[in-house]
Amino acid sequence: MFNSLASGQKQKKKIKILVSGPFAAGKTQFIKTISEIEPLTTERKTSAKNEKSVKNSTTVAMDFGKITIDDEHELYLFGTPGQSRFDFMWDILGKGALGIIILVDSTNPQTFHEARQIINFFESRYPVPMVVGANKQDLPDAWPPEMIKSALNLDAEDIPVVPVVATDKDSVKKALLTLLEEIYKEFG
Amino acid sequence: MGFSGNLKDFPFPDILQVIARERKNGILLVEWKDLIVAYYIKNGQIIFARPVDKITRVYTERSFPDLIKKLRVKEEVIPKILEKYLLSRLDEREGIFSLIFGFIKYKSTEKAPIPIEQLILEAARKLTPMEVKRKISDDMLTFIVTPEGKEIVKKLNLSPVEKAVIEQIDGKKTVAEIRQALYPTKPLDVDKALYGLWSAGIIKRVRRGKRHKPEGLTLDILKRIIDKVKDL
Repeated sequence: MFNSLASGQKQKKKIKILVSGPFAAGKTQFIKTISEIEPLTTERKTSAKNEKSVKNSTTVAMDFGKITIDDEHELYLFGTPGQSRFDFMWDILGKGALGIIILVDSTNPQTFHEARQIINFFESRYPVPMVVGANKQDLPDAWPPEMIKSALNLDAEDIPVVPVVATDKDSVKKALLTLLEEIYKEFG
Repeated sequence: MGFSGNLKDFPFPDILQVIARERKNGILLVEWKDLIVAYYIKNGQIIFARPVDKITRVYTERSFPDLIKKLRVKEEVIPKILEKYLLSRLDEREGIFSLIFGFIKYKSTEKAPIPIEQLILEAARKLTPMEVKRKISDDMLTFIVTPEGKEIVKKLNLSPVEKAVIEQIDGKKTVAEIRQALYPTKPLDVDKALYGLWSAGIIKRVRRGKRHKPEGLTLDILKRIIDKVKDL
C-alpha cells in the first residue's frame, strides 16, 4: 500500500489508486484533469487498424499523476493500458492499490465487455474497492450509468457506477471521492 | 431516450439482460440485414415482434392494444411470431439495434409468451467462443445462485448442461473447477451456461475472498485524502 519515495531529504509515503478501463475510455485524460503535475505518460502511436480510427496514440505501460496530501503522503494515480494485450501491466500495477476506478466509454457498448473483463481480473486477484466511471456522459449518445450498471451485471454487486466527464475536474473529483468513500466503508 | 449499438459488439443475451434488468416498457428495434423488426417490451419482457417497412411507422403507433387490433393478431399465434422473428435469429450478428424506453402504452393484461430469462438462455447457447470469453473471462470467477434465481428457474426449460452447472454453483468453486467437474472436454458448453445464467440473474458473481482493510492506511490518513480531494 505504502512505498517510500525519496523527495529531497524527506521520505514521502506513496498511496496508490489505479485508473483502469478499456482502450480509449479516457483514462489518461482523467488523470490529467485531477493531477497536480503534468502526468507522466508512456504513449505510443496506435498500431492496430481499428484503434487508429479511434485515436492516434495509446498508453503502453502506464500513466501517472500525483496529488500531494500533506508533508508525508502523496496520492498517486496510475493509469493502466487499455488493451488486454497489455494485461501483464494490470497485474504489476494492481499490487498494492488502495482502490480502482474503471472507466468505460459510455457511447461505445463494445467497451462494456472489456470493462467487465477488467473487473473480473482485479476482483479475482486484488479484491479492493472499485468504482466504475461511465465516461463521456457529455456526449448525446451516451448510455446512462444505470443502464451501464445493468449491462455490466453490477446491479447485484457492490461496485457503484457513477457518471463521469473526464475533462471536467468536478466530475473527476466526484468519481474519486466515491471510490474513497468505498474505501472508507472498509474501515466500518 | 434511445440507446444503440451493433450486434457484433453487443449480442442478444446482453441486450435482453439490460431489458430484463430495467423492467421498463419500450421498443427494441433491430435493423437486420434483410429486414427491420420492432420488439415490444412490457415490464422487461418481450411480448411481441413485428417486421416494419419503415422505422417511423413504429413511432406513430403508441397504443399496443390498438396496434394488435389493427394487425388482427390473435394471442395464440404470438409465440410463433417470436419464434420466427426472434428465436430463429439469435445467432445472427449483422444488425444494428436501438432500445427506446417509455413511449408505448399497454393494457394490464398482455403477457409474455416466453419469459425473458428463457430468451437469454436461448441466446447464450448461440454465442461464439470469443463472445463467451468477453464475460466468462477469468477461470477464477465464482458464483452463487441468487435468491430470485431459485424462483426464476422454476418457470424455465433448462438444458442438461445448465441444470448441471447450477448444481455446481456454491460460491466456492471457480469456473475452472466447474468445467473440470462437469464437462472437461466441453468447457465452452459450461461457459455458455454460466453466461446465460449470469445474464438472466439466476446466478451472480461473488468475491473469492473478503476485502482486506487497507494495510498501513489509517482512518486519519484516509480522511486527510478525502479532505484534500474535496478541496482540489
